[in-house]
Amino acid sequence: MYKYDAYDTRIIRERAAQFRGQVERRLSGEITEDEFKPLRLQNGLYMQLHAYMLRVAVPYGLLSSKQLRKLAHVARTYDKGYAHVTTRQNFQYNWPSLEDVPKILDELADVEMHAVQTSGNCVRNVTSDPFAGIAQDELEDPRPWAEIMRQWSTFHPEFAALPRKFKIAITGAPGEDRAAVKFHDIGVRIVKNAAGEVGFEILAGGGMGRTPIIGQVVREFLPKEQLLGYLEAILRVYNLSGRRDNKYKARIKILVTALGIEEFRRLVEEEFAASYTPDLELPVGEIERVKAFFLPPAYESLPDGASQLAAFKLAPERRFGQWVTNNTVAHKVPGYAAAVISIKTKGIPPGDVSDTQLDALADLADRFSMGLATTTHTQNLVLPDVKISELPQLFAALENLDLAEANYGKLTDLITCPGLDYCALANARSIPLSLEISERFDRIDYLNDIGDIAIKISGCINACGHHHVGHIGILGIDKKGVEAYQLQLGGSPGNDASIGKILGPAFAEDEIVDAVEKVIVKYLELRDSAEETFLQTVRRVGLEPFKQAAYEKAPAAAE
Amino acid sequence: MQIIRKRAIVEDDFVHIEDGAELPSGGKIIVTLARYLVEKDSLLAAFTLGVRIQSDKLPKDIPELHRLALVAIEFPRFTDGRGYSIAKLLRQREKFTGEIRAVGWVLRDNLLFMERCGVDAFEVQPGKPLESAVQAFAELEVPYQATVQDPRPLYRRR
Amino acid sequence: MQHKGATHWIVTANFTASGAVAYLREDGSWGQKLAESRLFADEEATKPLVALAQKTQQFTVSDPYGIDVHVGESGIEPVTKRESIRALGPTTPIRRPDSGRERLPV
Repeated sequence: MYKYDAYDTRIIRERAAQFRGQVERRLSGEITEDEFKPLRLQNGLYMQLHAYMLRVAVPYGLLSSKQLRKLAHVARTYDKGYAHVTTRQNFQYNWPSLEDVPKILDELADVEMHAVQTSGNCVRNVTSDPFAGIAQDELEDPRPWAEIMRQWSTFHPEFAALPRKFKIAITGAPGEDRAAVKFHDIGVRIVKNAAGEVGFEILAGGGMGRTPIIGQVVREFLPKEQLLGYLEAILRVYNLSGRRDNKYKARIKILVTALGIEEFRRLVEEEFAASYTPDLELPVGEIERVKAFFLPPAYESLPDGASQLAAFKLAPERRFGQWVTNNTVAHKVPGYAAAVISIKTKGIPPGDVSDTQLDALADLADRFSMGLATTTHTQNLVLPDVKISELPQLFAALENLDLAEANYGKLTDLITCPGLDYCALANARSIPLSLEISERFDRIDYLNDIGDIAIKISGCINACGHHHVGHIGILGIDKKGVEAYQLQLGGSPGNDASIGKILGPAFAEDEIVDAVEKVIVKYLELRDSAEETFLQTVRRVGLEPFKQAAYEKAPAAAE
Repeated sequence: MQIIRKRAIVEDDFVHIEDGAELPSGGKIIVTLARYLVEKDSLLAAFTLGVRIQSDKLPKDIPELHRLALVAIEFPRFTDGRGYSIAKLLRQREKFTGEIRAVGWVLRDNLLFMERCGVDAFEVQPGKPLESAVQAFAELEVPYQATVQDPRPLYRRR
Repeated sequence: MQHKGATHWIVTANFTASGAVAYLREDGSWGQKLAESRLFADEEATKPLVALAQKTQQFTVSDPYGIDVHVGESGIEPVTKRESIRALGPTTPIRRPDSGRERLPV
């Protein structure tokens, strides 16, 4: 994990002090809310329906146990005793007071954390694969590059007032994109060219929100040392030419679509050629310096755990067996596995973790996972380096914490935005819907039978719940003052990127869960084998059978 | 009128001349790009000249840039960041050595980043105390990135 | 939720220091209780006070605006779901309850 040096520390401390001054000037009235808003947004502080909301950055999703403890402490001391994992790998607090935020930022700085640029029209948190560094299919670890991009983008003076927010993601696994790079303003894929050199494929213009668009390739192969220079060129073209007349047309995806990828690429390459100087080239020394923080930890030399894993899956203790089957992920080092901690327990808003649980997870990270954890885009946590032989003890500890749901990747592992219960932008509530859906499908055998499926719920068209890329996506809307829900099917965020298609007219609040169930039942009916996933069936048969099922008035097949 | 120049509060020695207004007999003036394009040669001959451009213009839109003493970049709103790129292009691409002044909606909390992009003079939003504004420069001492003042990113300075 | 027609307007904002929901009271001060709100006949009547708050009360409240409400037997009720949630709080659990079993088995 990256460790701050004196420069990094100073930069974050100075920022916390700067914001303290800005808060004081806000509270004294020297600056108005209108002037303060962009400043507080650059520090991740929103004003929501009932309170401020502070979004803490978790760069590329990586956390140390020390940081988990600090997050617990902040939740306990300055908030209502919990924190929320977001769909961009960050953490959110829903109830801090403005007066406390400078103190919170100071405390976060103590453990090398901050809330810089987690909001506002600037470059946001660089996200990546929660299994970075350990995944078997990884070409190269994306985290050092994510850290290099983080430093480059932090307080970048030229790009502090972009037309709109800017999100970058990087993946290091060519076969499966777990970072959704095709739906980011800039997506970076680590690739190998014909000569066997490792470099980057750069995509731009992807995004969700009002106008979901899949990103396009701007540069097929970029030598590694040119990464920052190339990003500067893209950002400069966007800063100068992105629309500023209409907030809803201001993202780079609109610019890329309007210009066409050929012209956009031409502008970027022209700017790159004119502005790339030796100073912008990444020196080998810096690349090595940052990579050194991400070297593999001191793994023990263990026998291959495959047979032990298989035995666990068939364990007489069924809950443990289910959990190993569903919630562990293959690790590149023999004898190890990654364990997914599902933050999706019945009755609890998805992604909400209490301070007690955060403290306990810190202890578990220390005890079982070399002191590290990661956050996922699906509002879960991962302990990446667990010895297979210790899975039983870890499971027992998680059960004590109500964090042992064996539903990773299954129907009740849904994601949702905070929605109208919290968010000033929302049109409808989303959390109650997610709770209802989880309640309706709360049977592990049924969940396993349905298999892998991703339900994503957004409370408004801004799509923070990523509903466009849900296998089932639900969008909450305001239909003449009443909450209603639009259903769409067939979205996917990975390499096989697709945007979900709306099934038909919106459902009422008391109809939507039935509609989802009808869709599920229809899938079970239509799939050509138990192995065909929901997404595969939808792609094979199309929307029509599901549309008919969802809107038919008769009740769903019993049991 | 007081402005900030090179981090100090000074009396402005330039005068903004509106389009169509009568010109003084000499001295330091700032005219709009529109006027400059029409009266360029006579203006350059008679004055120490500054040109004021809006944020949808680029350095290449200013003919004979290097004969100017000053370029004023207009920020229509403090959230409109095009001027930062324009300043950077003026300094780094065009190697402009005259004064680059930020005018329009310029707030204390924008000054440091503007300076890092090459702006060295500021007409801060009226009604705000300049003494407080100059303190903004010292708030963040260490940049990660290359700046106009030091084109080495931090990884070349570590 | 009840979607009754509007009978009056009130002025709301968020307290600058705490972020909590604020309602303009009769005496011009700001409180946290919807029931204490000063009632206005229509939206036009709220505008001068919204403008005044924006101009002179920045250190107390942020982003004031007028909303329509229904005043009836149950007192003042917001017309929209959004304002109802602002008045009453989120409709979902706020904190994960501790299971009470957080001690790790040794």
